[in-house]
Amino acid sequence: MDKKIITVAVAGNPNTGKTTLINAIAGTNLQVGNWPGVTVEKKEATIEYKGYTIHFVDLPGTYSLTNDTAEEKVAVEFLIKEKPDVVLNVVDSTNLERNLYLTVQLLELGRPLIIALNMWDDAQKKGIIIDTKKLEQLLCSKVIPTVAPKKQGIQEILESIIEIYEKKEKPKCILHFEDNFEEELRELKKVIEIYQPVLFSIYPERFLLLSIIEGNLHFIDIPLNENILEKAQEIRDKIKKLYHKDISTFIIEERYSIILSIYEQCVKESVHERLDTTLVLDKIFLHKIFGFPIFLFFVWLIFEFTFEVSSPFVDWLDVTLSEYIAPWVYNALTSLGSSQWLTSLITEGIIGGVGFVLVFVPVLFFLYAFMAFLEGSGYMARAAFLMDRLMSFIGLSGKSFIPLILGFGCNVPAVYATRTLENPKEKILTVLMIPFMSCGARLTVYAFFVTIFFTQHKTLVILSLYGIGILVAITVAFILQKTILKTESHMFILELPPYRLPTFKYVLTNAWLKTKAFIYEAGTFILATSIIIWFLLHFPIGVKKTEDSIFGNISKTVAPIFEPLGFGNWEATGALISGFVAKEVVISTMGNIYSGEIIEEKPEAKPFKESLKEIGENFVQAFVDAGKAILKIFGIETNQIEEDENQEDTSLIKAVRNAFTPLTAFSFLVFLLLYTPCMATVFAIRQELNSWKWTGISVLISFSSAWITSFIVYNIGKIIFNG
Amino acid sequence: MKLAELEDGTVCRIKALHVEPELKKKLLELGLFPGQVVSVVQKAPLGGPIKIKVRDYCLALRPSEAEKIEVENCNG
Repeated sequence: MDKKIITVAVAGNPNTGKTTLINAIAGTNLQVGNWPGVTVEKKEATIEYKGYTIHFVDLPGTYSLTNDTAEEKVAVEFLIKEKPDVVLNVVDSTNLERNLYLTVQLLELGRPLIIALNMWDDAQKKGIIIDTKKLEQLLCSKVIPTVAPKKQGIQEILESIIEIYEKKEKPKCILHFEDNFEEELRELKKVIEIYQPVLFSIYPERFLLLSIIEGNLHFIDIPLNENILEKAQEIRDKIKKLYHKDISTFIIEERYSIILSIYEQCVKESVHERLDTTLVLDKIFLHKIFGFPIFLFFVWLIFEFTFEVSSPFVDWLDVTLSEYIAPWVYNALTSLGSSQWLTSLITEGIIGGVGFVLVFVPVLFFLYAFMAFLEGSGYMARAAFLMDRLMSFIGLSGKSFIPLILGFGCNVPAVYATRTLENPKEKILTVLMIPFMSCGARLTVYAFFVTIFFTQHKTLVILSLYGIGILVAITVAFILQKTILKTESHMFILELPPYRLPTFKYVLTNAWLKTKAFIYEAGTFILATSIIIWFLLHFPIGVKKTEDSIFGNISKTVAPIFEPLGFGNWEATGALISGFVAKEVVISTMGNIYSGEIIEEKPEAKPFKESLKEIGENFVQAFVDAGKAILKIFGIETNQIEEDENQEDTSLIKAVRNAFTPLTAFSFLVFLLLYTPCMATVFAIRQELNSWKWTGISVLISFSSAWITSFIVYNIGKIIFNG
Repeated sequence: MKLAELEDGTVCRIKALHVEPELKKKLLELGLFPGQVVSVVQKAPLGGPIKIKVRDYCLALRPSEAEKIEVENCNG
């Protein structure tokens, strides 16, 4: 017999613990992706239960289903087109009234419903008593109290899913509105039955009728018959005349009056005095004076955790790949008699590419973990609350602040941090600004140049670069906001959920799921690009000098466009092109180029067994170092973690000193700061915005603003210094 | 009276929403319909958003939007 596959859509308001509940049901089977064509996150999981295959699809968290937003459209489309066997509606028991609004709409969609009264324990602590039997009766749906972190109610949910699936009956419950209005609905139904009965075979009846009357036609794909539209207009006019309300208001208020009546019959609140922790915490965290410093302290913590605590693991991965795995593979291939270029392709192109992907893994993992904690605890909403005023000047809301700040560490996690922005325009705008935040990798290039050209004003030059980045970001945001991404009309309504302590498991599962998604999606592109760059550097076959490779030739062709910026030579151009791979390779590419030859490193392999032991030891050491880094964050110094000694390559310094003047060097740095971010960022943008178009626009904006700014800087500099 | 003008801790009933249809719909759906009781909990510094309480939960609105929400029967 065929396996029975049950599709379950999971719907609910934001902040209802929906994600935690799905985690509790599906565990690590969960997968994170995007809904096709939009930037909305899609979570899915498939589990086996008692011989059934149950496929869970997490719909975006929404308060309603009738607005023209990406999230609500995605949800409605899925419910209508995919016709899930069961809809699991996750409801916050402590805030039943508002949560039931979505429940009423889900009932209008006519799919069988299971209502999970989540956070049941919180409700009980608060003295909210819910009569579940009564609620079940009034909503004609299964009602199950749940406590997601304790897995309470999970078993019942799974049993009910199977029961509903086997019964195969549609819910017959209709929550009636005012009699007058119900009469109008029946009339509209008659009109549709006469002129376009096909509609009823596509869309759920009550949902269809209400949508047509309200004029919510963006859910309906086929053109409507004139008579239907006329009838709808007629009803709208009648309601307006009768109740002095527009139709949307009327329908929403009708839904709420049903909810209020249900609420009164099922819920008893025993008011007892208790300390509201959320209120007290908000007095501190949102304090008029202390709120900001506390927030900045948290930002600093994210920074430290993301970049400092992860760095021992990054180093470990780096060392393991370049000092152990690459040499093994090199030796293995050489002993197998593989040709020089194949060995190089595998050890440099492929293993190098894998390395570029892997070094982001610890960084992203720590970032996601911290973000999950802030998000799950409810503090993220407070951060948005505090920063909103400042960000509103450039048409953004408070929520964009954290992603932008993270950009100073690394643009890649910053781009992924925009996942918390619900407004699509705001999200795009923020993502387009992030590449201008000067990341840590760019700093290595600045550091190299300032020691050569600006020994007297090192800090000033570097700070000015960060400043230019911010200025350009603001300018670009300002222009975009006035032209193609008008965000000013967008409203800022932010729920401030109660503070909750997310479980350790929730934080780690969330972080791992998202990191995994990065490895699969962006990782593939990064690896491919790395291999392509390798080919450009090593072809035609047998090429000895970088200058003669395809890469060199491209650099020479492109170089003239940098002439007006003061560095129109192929060497500088080549370095910039390699900067697309990763900004930290700019200096090593310059080393290659200026030394005139491709430096082939012959890696030395250590004995296999010994190496394995060392890798293990290093891994343990990474944990120790991470621990030390955490202690250091909190001001407890252990013995200093040793910094790498910079090996000064004097010949490269000489070559660079000859090739640049201080002014052209500065112009070069400005360009390096602003132009196309590294490939990892580009593919992160692609993944997060789910659009090649916006990725292309981002690359274009970066490149053109880099050119324009460098041009201005260079020419003003020429006037000032050359008279 | 307008929601934006209220002092921290004031409790009022919503009288009317004078906002554009799209926002109106959102506010209504969140339970901010005429007759509903709201209280101003806290205001962000420097003219930032206002934290309000509606039934069992808290929301933040910008002053520009709270300006358009008319309230009555206040008792702080």
